[in-house]
Order: sequence, then C-alpha cells, then structure tokens
Amino acid sequence: MIAKKFILFIVVSLLMAGCVEKEIIDDVNIEMGLGYDLKEDDKIEGTVMIPVFNPDKRIGNFTFSATATSARDLLQEIQRKSAQPVVTGSLEIALFGEEMAKKGVIELIDSFERDASIGARVYLAVGEGNAKDILSGTYGNRGNAIHLSDLIKQNTDKRNLPKTNLHLFLFDHYQKGKDPYMPILKKLEAEIIDIVGVALFKGDKMVHTIPADKMFFFKLLTDKFSQGSFKIKVREEEEQAAIRDLDSKNKFKLTKRDPYSITVEIKIEGIIREYTGQMLTPAMIKKIEKELENTVNEECSTLIADFQGHGVDPIGFGHFIKSKTRGFDFKKWEDDYKNLTVHVKTDAKITEVGIVE
Amino acid sequence: MKQLFKKKMMKELEKEAAKQDTQGNTGQEQDNYLNDHGWEILFKKSHDFKKTFYVNQKTGKKFCFSFITTLIDESILQNNALPYLLERDFKYIEDVKKLIPIADVQISERNEDIEKKLFNGYVLLTLEGEEKCFAFIAAQKEIVRNVAQPEVEFSVIGPKESFVESMDQNLNLIRKRVPVKELIIENYTVGTLSHSGVAILYIDGITNTDNVDTVRQRIKEIEFDEITDSSYIVQLISDNENSPFPQLLDTERPDRVAAILAEGKVAILVDGSPHALIGPTTLVEFFGSFEDYFLNYLLSSFFRLVRLFAVAFSILITPIYVAALSYHYELIPKDLLSTLITSRREIPLPPILEALFLELTIELLREAGARLPTKVGQTIGIVGGIVIGTASVEAGLTSNVLLIIVALAALASFTTPVYRMGNTIRLLRFPFLFFAELWGLLGIVISFSFLLTHLIRLTSLGRPFLEPLYPPRITDFKDAIIRLPFKKQSLRPQYLRTENPVRFSKEKAKEKKDIDE
Repeated sequence: MIAKKFILFIVVSLLMAGCVEKEIIDDVNIEMGLGYDLKEDDKIEGTVMIPVFNPDKRIGNFTFSATATSARDLLQEIQRKSAQPVVTGSLEIALFGEEMAKKGVIELIDSFERDASIGARVYLAVGEGNAKDILSGTYGNRGNAIHLSDLIKQNTDKRNLPKTNLHLFLFDHYQKGKDPYMPILKKLEAEIIDIVGVALFKGDKMVHTIPADKMFFFKLLTDKFSQGSFKIKVREEEEQAAIRDLDSKNKFKLTKRDPYSITVEIKIEGIIREYTGQMLTPAMIKKIEKELENTVNEECSTLIADFQGHGVDPIGFGHFIKSKTRGFDFKKWEDDYKNLTVHVKTDAKITEVGIVE
Repeated sequence: MKQLFKKKMMKELEKEAAKQDTQGNTGQEQDNYLNDHGWEILFKKSHDFKKTFYVNQKTGKKFCFSFITTLIDESILQNNALPYLLERDFKYIEDVKKLIPIADVQISERNEDIEKKLFNGYVLLTLEGEEKCFAFIAAQKEIVRNVAQPEVEFSVIGPKESFVESMDQNLNLIRKRVPVKELIIENYTVGTLSHSGVAILYIDGITNTDNVDTVRQRIKEIEFDEITDSSYIVQLISDNENSPFPQLLDTERPDRVAAILAEGKVAILVDGSPHALIGPTTLVEFFGSFEDYFLNYLLSSFFRLVRLFAVAFSILITPIYVAALSYHYELIPKDLLSTLITSRREIPLPPILEALFLELTIELLREAGARLPTKVGQTIGIVGGIVIGTASVEAGLTSNVLLIIVALAALASFTTPVYRMGNTIRLLRFPFLFFAELWGLLGIVISFSFLLTHLIRLTSLGRPFLEPLYPPRITDFKDAIIRLPFKKQSLRPQYLRTENPVRFSKEKAKEKKDIDE
C-alpha cells in the first residue's frame, strides 16, 4: 500500500513538473531598466536595458528598442529581437520621457501592476528629454540600471529626494485628494546622471516640477521622517552653515473649516556640518535655529502656494481633510483647495555642532 | 494446497526431531564417561574441541575434561584445577567445589546445559562412576580490547573512556559511575545463532516502567539469527523501521550512559558491540554533543545553535541554489546576480545536474574515504577535494559558487555529533533537490512539510520524537536547543514521564553556603 502510494506520488510529481515555467538564470535576458518615449503619431518607443555580465566580472549594458502603438505590443516587438526570453522580474527602474510623462503614464504603469513578478519597489522617474538617451549611456561599473536605482536610493535615504517608488506612485494615484510625484533625471555628461528635481503629476500627467534646491522643503512636507541637508545663510552675520537634518516630523492640524485652514507643524533636529565663521557660540546657534525656522516656514509656504496655483496636491491635504470630515465632497474640494490657507510652524533644534569649539 | 504441504513438512520435521531425541537418549543410557557421548558427535567435528583424561593419584579415579580450546584459558586449568584434582582426595563429583580454588564451579545433571556452558567458556568435568552428574569449571579466556579513547564521540574535555566489545567490561564501566543498588541490569539472550547477550539498564524508582516494559518486550520478541552489533537491535526494535531517522541514540561513552540513566532513560547494551543504545530519545538530542555538558552553558548553547544552523544549511542550501537559479531569478539580490551569472556562463549543464554532479562527487569521496585505510584515505581527500574540485570548475562542468556551497554543506553535515544522524542529513538533501528542480521553492516547502509530518508522527519507544518542539513542552527547552545552567536543570525531562521527576531540590541548590556553617 505504501509502495503504491509512493509510486503514485512520484508519477504525479513528474507529471506536474511542467506546471511551473522554468527560467534558468543564465538562459534569460533579465530586463533591469525600461524606458518609454513618445514618438510622432502617438507611437511609443520602448527601450529595454539588459545587463551583460562579462567573464571578467565587468557589467556591460545592452539596450533593445522597439516602436509600437501600445505598451503590450512593445514587449512582443522586443522579444522578437532577443535571442533569449526577456524576463521582467528584476526590473529596477522605469523611465518616462518628458513628453510621455506629460501625455500620461498610467497605461504603461498598468502593465507593471499586472505582472506579478515585478516588485512594488521599482523606482519610477521622469527622464528630462529622452528616456532612451539616459538608458543608453554608461554609468558606474555595476550596470546602468543598478547605477540609476542606487542613485535614487542614496538620495532618498540620505539626501533631499522624497521617497518614491511604484507602490507609492500607485497609492497616490488611486488616492483621492493626493497627487503622485517622481524624481526627474537628467543626463549631464556622457557618464553622469543628475537628479534635477521632482515632477508633479495631476492624475497621471506631469504638470509641474520642483527644482532640486526646493526638494529639501518638499521632503519635509511629504515624508514623515526624513533626512536631508540644507545650506543656510545667516542674514545679518554673512556666515553660512550647512545643516544636516537628522530627524524631522511633520504633523498636520485642521484648525478651521469653511474655508479650510491647516497648520503644518514641522519639527527638525539637525547638526551643523560646515560653518564658515570661526566660533559657534550658543547665541549663534540660537540664531541659526531661528534662521532655519524662518527659511523653512517661508519656503514651505511658497511651495504650497505654488501647488495651489497649479492645482496639484502632492502633499495630500485633500486626503488629510477627508479623513477628518464627514461627508467630504471631492468635487467641491477642487475649488476649496485654491482657497485653503496653510500655516507652517517650524521648530528647529541644533543638537550637535561638531567637535571644533 | 500450500497449507497441506506445510503441514506435511512440519510432520516430517517433527519426526526427525523425535528420532534425534531418541538417539540422544539411547546414547545417554549407554553413557560411559570415557566413551563418546551423544552430545559430542557434532562437537568432535570441530578441531578445537578437546577431551583429556587423567587419573587421581590418591583414589585412582579417572576423570576427564572436555572443553573448547579456543574459548578457555588453559593456564587456569593447569594452575588452579589440575594439580588439586590430581593430588588431593577426589572421590565424588561434589568434592570439586572444595578442592579447587575457583569460585565458579557448578554441579549439574542437565545434559542440555552442556552446549551452552561449553560455549560460555566452561570446562566440563566428568568423573568415573558418576554417569549422570558432572561439573562445570569456569575458565573463560578473556580476549578484551583495552578501554580506549572514544573515537566517534571524542571530546577534548571530560572522561576519555569508551566501551569495548565485552559486555562485562562495559557494565563494569557503567556500574562504577552509578554505584547504587537501584541500577537494575536485566539480561536477555537474542539471536538463534549468535546467542548474543542483551542487557537492559535502568534505575529503579526513576525510569518509567512503561518504557522498560516496551524495551523488554521488543527485545524478547526479536526474531533473528545472528546479532553482531547493537545497530541490528536499533533497526529491529525501532518504532518505525521505514524512517531514515535513527530512533535510538547510540553512544560509545560510559559517562553518557550514566548521565542518561540518571535522566530516567533506558540503556541497552549488546555483547560484542562497543555502542550502547539509549531510548526514548528526541530529535534535538542527536544535535547535542555530550561535550556540551562539560562546557559552560553559554558556550554549549551557542555551539548547539551553530550545529542546528549547520543542519538546516546543509539540507537546504543546495536545493535553494537549484530553485533560485532555475525558477526565481528575481529573488537573487542584484549584487549577487553578476557573480552567479558569470560563474555559470560557460556551464553546459542545468543547475540540477550541476548540483547532482557535485553532490554525488562528495558522496563518492566520503564513501571512498570511509572504505579505504586511514593513510590512503587522506590522499583521497586531497585528490577529491582539490584536484577534482578545481578541475571541474576549470573544465566548465560546475560553477565555483556551487562548489563552495556544496563543500560547505558537506562540511556542515559533519558537525552533527551523532554519526548516524549525519548520514540521515546527507540523504535528506536529495529529495529536497528533486523537488526543488520540479517546483522551485514551492517544492522545497512541500518536501519540508513532508519531512515535518514524518517527524511529528515519529516516536521513540512510544514517546514523541520531536518533543519539546512538538508537543510543545516549555520546561524541556532547558536542555534542548540551548542548555541552561545545571542549577536550572532540577527536573527530569517531561516526556520521559519518570517516576521521580525531581533530580535535586531546587531550594537547596539555591542556598548560598557560607563557610561558617
């Protein structure tokens, strides 16, 4: 009996072996980067970046491009050009050309959503100019896709770029009262890519950008705990200090309805990394703190006013007020948003000034 | 038809037996101590059976020694028996007890004892005029290996004794460590040809009688002809003989046997085997080396964790390699991707064949190393490990990443303190590999659940094998995956259901002894 069961088990196992698709690691083309550009007649040019692992451990880059009318056809076109099946499971970054981003990206992103092998932490970015140009350079020594994703990761974790990825983009997109955003990459030279700002989307269309020097303030408003660095100039003293923000919290408070009024409380704890003057007296530190508070208040208010002007809400005020209001009407919110008053209150604290006294 | 035939056979056999019996009886009737006895017919065919005749100088009575030369020590006969029997007043067979300075002299009338006694190293003494009575004089030749250092379970710290092939010697080693009358040693004879002595050891008042009964019953029920080692007993009395897991722990250390007796377990010794068996046991006990008890509890806990990790690593790492490379490229960290792909670039084989090739090579090396004499074995290690390893990577048959993985897995499997369990672990890898090839990680999960089901069902002498993990027994974790200090070990393991669960008084152990008291 046991022998019979055992034989049956082995037979069933062998018969079911074909049920899983085999993708042996060195027999597939692993697509790690993807770019979409808009061409004439609304055609889409897709670029697939595949790392080439050379025997001497160097990683090269190889790109396929194909033009098609829809994102579905693109993969077909690309598979036709590839000797080995192109698999999408290790996708690191997807780039959208500026034109493409302005036309709308959700149709393209939809294919990422449906592909179970694509992770939720894929980075999305807008390529200034042409996505294909960015993908076809050679950056770093670990392959372009890894270089680009590391670039975004590093700037998100330690610098001023707010946190973005596929998951957050989709969340913001499907969340009423909040608009998504992506970093903007620009090819500076043949081997250098720079983050030049953040692209703001309304729905799935890019409508506005934030320049790189304002990203610090934007990050303070969007991310709960953020790290970043910022250079500050003390007005009367002609001295400059580079402040590294170690920990910040933001808290929204609905202070008034009809018209809505929101107070944003930002708490910053930071250290001074560089200082042009000689002595950092406690009085001076107080001054810097004050200066920092004022700057953050001003810059954040300007940013919010700017968003209101363009009708985008990347910070998610609408979402916040909805969670506090019974029977919130999103149709009315369109107009209410323009009339929303936002007060920014900052509490800055310098905890460390370095070992030089 | 079959049954009829069987009956016929049985009848014929019975008849023959009856014939032999009558023949024996007739032989006995004509018995003369000098002539051939009925029982001697088969003995005489062997050249080491000897019969010597003597005449007592005082009484003139003739007597005769029958013995098997290879089993007895003739010097005992010559020094302690012959001079007295020849020169003193030797009239009746009962006189032997008084005359010779040997403690073990038995007078018997039972003919059926003769064979057993002769093979136990006794000398048969027959006397003229005493046809029915005879004496057995103990003169065993003890060819005993010296007590040597344990080789399988060697420990740097702690006692360096190990069992030998003689049961008496082994019992002596244990008795010395547990010198109490409560230590019971029961003896049974097993095997229709080998007549192997099997001893059951337990401590009365501590060990659960059910456990002893189970062992006793199973040993009595053994039907086998030649028992050469305790390994036979393990396989014959195991709860589930189809399981690759050993269900009785075997040890060559008398100190370990003494320790487990105190815990309330049963030990089984087999004559001719330098390994004692211990039961009931649990899976985690196989990963505890006895040296753990000689080290500080922090160290031994750490070593136990390392060993458990090594087991998991050894079983799972090659299957995970195969699964990840065949199915789950997206699971591989992007920094590792290039290492793996470049190392597999030139390899024509799919990951499963590559892995099987290397795993089988390692198994071959191990087999070759185990079969060859130690001196040659070392060469095999070098040839196999270095030459075959590097050559197969250079020839592009296997990737060097896999070579490292397989070698590490093999190394990890050797950390298991019990050799038997190490073998099991090496075997377990192959079904895992097979399923990893079929269904990737899902296959590994499936085979793991099969393994877990099997382990949960497994028992050792009727006690759960996976305890204290399942059924969960929190108190028994004190000496399982980690080992707590001795002060916390005041209770005997719960699963043994001992008759006296308390090892020592916890309160007394806690008291701080002052010098003044």
